[in-house]
Amino acid sequence: MDRNIVYIKDTGILQPDRTKDVYAAFLNGLRDRGMQDSVMAVRVADIGAYNQGVVIKVLPDTTYYNVKDADINRIVDSIKEGKAVQGLAARKEPKQLRIVLRNCGVVDPDNIDDYLARDGYQALKKVLFDLKTPEKTIDEIKKSGLRGRGGAGYPTWMKWNFAKQMVSDQKYVICNGDEGDPGAYMDRSVLEGDPYSVVEGMMIAGFSVGATMGYFYIRAEYPLAVDRVQNAIDRCYERGLLGKNILGSNFNFGLEIRLGAGAFVCGEETALIASIEGRRGTPHPRPPYPSVKGLWEKPTVINNVETLANVPYIILKGGDVFARVGTATSKGTKVFALTGKIKNSGLVEVPMGTTIREIVFDVGGGIFNNKAIKAIQTGGPSGGVIPKDFLNTPVDYENLQKLGSIMGSGGMIVMDEDDCMVDIARFYQRFCFEESCGKCSPCRIGTAQMLNTLSKIAEGMGELSDLDNLRRISQAMQKAALCGLGQTAPNPVVSTLRYYQDEYEVHIINKKCPSKKCRNLLSYKIIPEKCKRCSVCMMNCEAKAITGNKDDGYVINMDKCVRCGKCFEVCKFKAVSKE
Amino acid sequence: MSKITKEELDSMAKQPKKEDKDWIKVGMSSCGIAAGAEEVFKTLTEEVKKRNIKVAIKKCGCAGMCSVEPLVEVNVEGMPQVTYGKVNKDVAIQILDDHIHSHRLVNDHIYDIQAKKPNG
Repeated sequence: MDRNIVYIKDTGILQPDRTKDVYAAFLNGLRDRGMQDSVMAVRVADIGAYNQGVVIKVLPDTTYYNVKDADINRIVDSIKEGKAVQGLAARKEPKQLRIVLRNCGVVDPDNIDDYLARDGYQALKKVLFDLKTPEKTIDEIKKSGLRGRGGAGYPTWMKWNFAKQMVSDQKYVICNGDEGDPGAYMDRSVLEGDPYSVVEGMMIAGFSVGATMGYFYIRAEYPLAVDRVQNAIDRCYERGLLGKNILGSNFNFGLEIRLGAGAFVCGEETALIASIEGRRGTPHPRPPYPSVKGLWEKPTVINNVETLANVPYIILKGGDVFARVGTATSKGTKVFALTGKIKNSGLVEVPMGTTIREIVFDVGGGIFNNKAIKAIQTGGPSGGVIPKDFLNTPVDYENLQKLGSIMGSGGMIVMDEDDCMVDIARFYQRFCFEESCGKCSPCRIGTAQMLNTLSKIAEGMGELSDLDNLRRISQAMQKAALCGLGQTAPNPVVSTLRYYQDEYEVHIINKKCPSKKCRNLLSYKIIPEKCKRCSVCMMNCEAKAITGNKDDGYVINMDKCVRCGKCFEVCKFKAVSKE
Repeated sequence: MSKITKEELDSMAKQPKKEDKDWIKVGMSSCGIAAGAEEVFKTLTEEVKKRNIKVAIKKCGCAGMCSVEPLVEVNVEGMPQVTYGKVNKDVAIQILDDHIHSHRLVNDHIYDIQAKKPNG
């Protein structure tokens, strides 16, 4: 049975959805030609194209966009003839490339045999028996151009090389799985979906630097990830892939899990080390860097989950193969957790150099509810917002930095016209304020002062001098804070001020919130001409701020109104105005 | 459990990857579980047993399409490999009825089809 498969989907934004009609027409076309048994037509829920009208895709690779009813029969005929309709068909290049996520969603994370069947531990074998030396292994990583995926983008081979050159009786490898950025969950998904790759990456890192012990530092909030990694470690010990004389070589390596207790700062490497040692998770100044003096004062390599998941692929395929993907300075792919006002939120992996527009519109399907895009936030509290004018920027470490944001761990939050930038800055500042460890005063006091100032602006009590104050505090923190988190905590404020100062000024001068988000600046009113006097708003008003009756109409008493917006939401006739 | 040796890994690398027999995979990462994948997994396991269908029910991690979880991927002989999204108990049963039993795809829940030739 060799049937052609055709999928059909109306990707247009105009209602109503024509998928079912086109599908019926298509089936009729098939029946007229007696092809109903040789072609299987299906309505799919997602076809990988957006705002392209009716899309018909004939597997394996012919896609028709904006199909008109008159075209349907031509397409049916073309299937019979076995070639595409000239002038109608378009080829679509896949935008995603899966290296880190190569096994995610494919293997059973609890089953080591599944992983072994997908080239599992072949990279380790290559390191132990073909490359044989740490030098050659590190050289492959150097060729690959892999940089740390935790955020800062430090070349991985250099980190490993520093630790390798240290003379010490004991060295360590740590996998940083303490992912705390709002909106980011790449590391969790990799640990949950493909723990063995990270374990294998750890072992290769261990061999390269001469470590015999490694620690997974995983957030306690990720119980499933902890379970799956623990299971992977147990199975590896059982099968002799961890422990002494691995695969008959003289390489010994052990792994253990340490739970992070939920402090954002513990993702910072010096604080993370303190936390594993059983001390309070606060950072200390560097140098000395952990690769010189890390866990229990021994040379320690700390890598992010995603970095380590890349390692087996690089070793197996060769560093130069990996380096062919990406841009001049940023090699390979990057996993993003695409969230916010986006149609298809989820984990995406794209080659470095893919533009933000491609990620948001081609992979993510565009903005929810067909609103206009306003900005993209990357890098969490250490990053910033990128306005829509820069959507065509290719994503890599340098480009994002130029725009005043960072790659960070890879959270990508899409914002639409309803998002207020003062509110966004306030949200991140509150996060940083609550998560500041308090050890250094620039961060402890700076975040509090910035949060107060932002709240003041959002509540309509801001003054223009506040903007200068925000900038001054930001600079002080960037210069004087002890660790990376404190130094980057002002970034969301700095970047929103850089691109959206006018929005701040409207809050301060006009006491209005253009995005209608800041509650205290809103006022609600019933428009008598539109009001149908159904009284739904009055019945839903918990503050009893709406009075009136069916004859005289209804009014909102702004003194009593708590600005919950319920009346605005429940009014079917759009008779409540929000300003 | 037997220890894995270098020789075993060598032979694994040389062997052509053999196609798995018929299977259904359910995405069981946090995103899937939060959307109700456990119930889908349970339903599939029970129904397959009840109807005596020879198909392995497996679990896997996040396939990336978190917004349409629970995801169920189906690979049976004679049919393309299909990823179904927004699968609940009813859709899971429909997959067994239509896709596996009658060799018809389940409309409106398809999110991805691997373009492999049937029987290939």
